[in-house]
Amino acid sequence: MTARAKGTSSVVVEQDAPEIVDIPINMGPQHPSTHGVFRMVLVVSGEKVLDVTPHIGYMHRGGEKLMEAMDFRQGIGYADRTEYLAQFSAELGYVLAVERLMEIEVPERAQYVRVILTELNRLSSHFMFMGAFGIDSGLFGTSFTYAFREREYLQDVFEEVSGDRLMYAYFRVGGLAWEVTDNFVERVHDVMKTSAKGIQDLDDLLTRNEIFMARCQNIGSFSAQQAIANGLSGPILRASGVPWDLRKDEPYSIYERFRFEVPVGHYGDVYDRYLVRLEEMRQSLAIIEQALEGLPEGPIVPDKMPRRLRTPPGEVYAKVESPRGEWGVYLVSKGGDKPYRMKMRSPSFCNLSALREMTIGQYLADAVMILGSMDIVLCDVDR
Amino acid sequence: MAEGEDEQPTPTPHASGASAPPPTPEEAQAEQAQDAGKSTAAGEPSPAFDTAAGGGGRKSDSTGPPTVAPEAAAAAKAAAPKPARPAKEAEAKEAPRIAPPAGSVNELLAAALPGVAMQAYLVPALRGEEVAVEVGRDDIPAVLTAARDDPRLELTYLRCLSGIDWQEGGLEVVYHLLSMNHGHQLTVKTRVTYDDPVVPSATSIFPAADWHERETRDMFGIVFDGHLNLVPLLLPEDMTDHFPLRKDNPLQEIDEWQGENLRDGAGEGDE
Repeated sequence: MTARAKGTSSVVVEQDAPEIVDIPINMGPQHPSTHGVFRMVLVVSGEKVLDVTPHIGYMHRGGEKLMEAMDFRQGIGYADRTEYLAQFSAELGYVLAVERLMEIEVPERAQYVRVILTELNRLSSHFMFMGAFGIDSGLFGTSFTYAFREREYLQDVFEEVSGDRLMYAYFRVGGLAWEVTDNFVERVHDVMKTSAKGIQDLDDLLTRNEIFMARCQNIGSFSAQQAIANGLSGPILRASGVPWDLRKDEPYSIYERFRFEVPVGHYGDVYDRYLVRLEEMRQSLAIIEQALEGLPEGPIVPDKMPRRLRTPPGEVYAKVESPRGEWGVYLVSKGGDKPYRMKMRSPSFCNLSALREMTIGQYLADAVMILGSMDIVLCDVDR
Repeated sequence: MAEGEDEQPTPTPHASGASAPPPTPEEAQAEQAQDAGKSTAAGEPSPAFDTAAGGGGRKSDSTGPPTVAPEAAAAAKAAAPKPARPAKEAEAKEAPRIAPPAGSVNELLAAALPGVAMQAYLVPALRGEEVAVEVGRDDIPAVLTAARDDPRLELTYLRCLSGIDWQEGGLEVVYHLLSMNHGHQLTVKTRVTYDDPVVPSATSIFPAADWHERETRDMFGIVFDGHLNLVPLLLPEDMTDHFPLRKDNPLQEIDEWQGENLRDGAGEGDE
């Protein structure tokens, strides 16, 4: 019989038995998997998560207060900076609110260009999700490089149109800042081809990848009731089996003119959220295709556009389907050229508030996947 | 075009008492008097409040001072000055309150909740209008529960919860509700005073209200009675006595570097 190595005695001495405690683990705010400046304190027992306390607000800049001091033209830029992955959706929600209060008719051409750009933006945002989510699941960057290549092509188009790669500020109250470039239609057709290929690449890379499936399926499941009660919106809500898409159910701009499907998940888990987004990208391509066909000639701002934007007193809750969910702009005006109160109902904020319920009872490693599947933008959470 | 107007671009909310009165000062006052300091159990609709504030009328189509009859309101809307070209006389500070047409959501809510005073009016939605109701603060749990559970309402989705600082009008909490089954929506509003900014929490009815209420407490100091974890969310943990979004924290005016040009008409037609 060989002697045991020192310290591995099988006889447990009673008073030396370790006390079993639940360990709080701090994750973030400088953790790569938190997608920004987000911190959560997880209480774990072994690998099981017993409790999660999310801490947000690291990037809180008082955006709503700032927009009260900006006139309706200046506020557009701030909408960009709040939701910096779906800037056109954010701008659209904001200008729709102001246009509704001012009762401005937006010309057809501007409406179509807005739809095209917003849907291209949905593609770029979902590409961002696919890339980052692949890293979360342990793909070490393959999906990231695939997705970012496609996103670059899209950003090139945005840059050509708006003059900026990130903070477009291209939508204006009443229409657009300026006419699109001459080769806009060809450029969009080109980028649609590359995007379609990019979507297929990611599909091939991820969807049937055994490891990816094992890491995604059956974690973070939310039922339809839970999703509605917790105020989820966007792809997360639809992954839980609720066919609710504002573009279909409360159409804004000119979305009722386009034929597209609303993908709906069945299990409400992380994998379904990925599948819903993947299919949404294909549907966005279909919308862009139709919008390009119907794109009319004409003015991009109304003829009788007031130089100074002043709304009558009143309030409006404008909402658009951003890539992350319902982007709501609750605009209260007392008259004049500035909002009296600007509340931004950000989908990232509302979705993230369900993180605790979603993560409790899951494994620690899956907490990263669940957070990643929410596709949050921390600037949008903190505002 | 309306240069005179442009000289005073911000209608400061502090303007004066001469501006149109806040919509429900009576309600707020009556409520405050009735509450006498502390809001108690937040559940039951209070009959005393009804008689005090509702003026006896349950459906407040006729009670609220600014409410207009539908046809008169339609006419008023048609005659309203174009927003782009404000009238020379003082601009209205409040939107006219138009009573919702018969068969709107508020009637279902009133039928589900007899004895709760509510004032209903239309607010603009992106397409058309939607209905807003103002209720007393103590009725909030009853109203939200009925809105969620009544089979004809089924407003199961809380879209948004926001606070508004109306200064003389006190603080307001706004709930945006949506029914995915029926496709209708309802805005519920309630007002509280600065001295007693307590609203019953909606978290037990809509779990989605959790972070919204914490944020509203951060920004406006509205205390949500019954919230289990009302600690600062967006603000630092020790910042519990300063409320940034209240109007007594004015922001510095932004220098408008294009403002001079706009005023003397320079660059007309450019851009």
